[in-house]
Amino acid sequence: MNFTFRNKRISGTLVVVPANERAFVEEMKNYNFPEARSLKLKEVMGYDRRRLVEPGVCVSDMAVFGLQNLFDRGLLKPDDIDALLLITQSPDYFMPATSSIIQGRLGLKQDMICLDINQACAGFVLGLIQSFMFLEQESVRKVVLINADVLSRKTSPKDRNIYPLVGDAATITVIERDAEDSVIHATVKMDGTRNDALMIPAGGFRLPSSAETAILEDVGDNNLRAKDHLRMDGSAIFNFVQTEIPPLIQGLLDRVGVPMESIDYFLCHQPNRFMLQKLADKMKVPHSKMQNNVVERFGNSSGSTIPTAIALNLADKLTHGQIYACLAGFGGGLTWSAMLMRLGGWKFCEIIDYPNQAK
Amino acid sequence: MNEFLKKLAEILEVGEVKETDELKAFPQWDSLAVLSVIAMLDGNHGVNLRAADFGPINSAADLWNLVQSKKRV
Repeated sequence: MNFTFRNKRISGTLVVVPANERAFVEEMKNYNFPEARSLKLKEVMGYDRRRLVEPGVCVSDMAVFGLQNLFDRGLLKPDDIDALLLITQSPDYFMPATSSIIQGRLGLKQDMICLDINQACAGFVLGLIQSFMFLEQESVRKVVLINADVLSRKTSPKDRNIYPLVGDAATITVIERDAEDSVIHATVKMDGTRNDALMIPAGGFRLPSSAETAILEDVGDNNLRAKDHLRMDGSAIFNFVQTEIPPLIQGLLDRVGVPMESIDYFLCHQPNRFMLQKLADKMKVPHSKMQNNVVERFGNSSGSTIPTAIALNLADKLTHGQIYACLAGFGGGLTWSAMLMRLGGWKFCEIIDYPNQAK
Repeated sequence: MNEFLKKLAEILEVGEVKETDELKAFPQWDSLAVLSVIAMLDGNHGVNLRAADFGPINSAADLWNLVQSKKRV
């Protein structure tokens, strides 16, 4: 499905990560694998450190902290927020929406719209699409898009398939009208038949959480996880990315008539360094144009990884200049999406710590 | 086939892999090795296998034949 938007732009992004950092080498002893093989995994996949929330920390905590930071520094006025869009799969509650919780905690105006969208790693691109749609309305002049998750709380420390790579974060992106004539092109594809490639089986209404769903089990791959835990079919996801993303991006470029060489950066969701290197090789894109260093520093924080990749690598370029970028978000659903847009002239672009609360 | 066996040897961190060698018998054959093989098959042979496809595979020759059959499709 194709989208075209005119006169919309991003004016800044703030990434909030928990101060609590964990290292792969410390956690290795929990896995049912020889240490030497775990170290090989670390080297091949590109794991090292990541940020995890302390027990009890929720999405609204990090989001409120980040927004307050922007208010305090005069980078955003509370009353200017016309739409608050939260993309998350780890809400504070089933009900009410966490965007309403955030709105209430910050005392934002009543004359606004707040929405939660349940999306995973494609969540930043899909969130941008929804944000641009809001801005088509005269009454919406500024949208705050928040991608936030605390999915580490849903992972098994004995699952070497997923535990070493999941990280937590909240990103706050401000989107508004562009005074200059600009066009943004995007494309989205969905395939619900492969929905089980990235899944938390229990905890919803299909299979409510119980004593049974908390039991750790070995599904045959020497890892232990409960039905309450996030599970990922690694090889299915690898094949999905290699098969679907190159033609999605090429299709978008062809439709718009833009040669691949004119793209300055490919800002992709960061599953891990290994997959991004293979993707870049498949697309014949130099690694320098496809950043892959988020997971080794912060972990894979789902929809937050694209803004994190930007803040980690391109802050200077975006606050002092402009780039032509192809964004690509892909993952749970399955969902895959790409977007072509200019980025630049940003008011802010940085990563801050959500301080540890425990004394 | 020789290139293929050489790449397998690299992934399994051994000097050599023969056609008749049983892959699961190698000490380094684990989920990381499987993913590395899947990536190698995608990059060098344009074939996408899933971890589940390796169930019925015993020897390196079995794997080679499976890869060839996927190419003919």
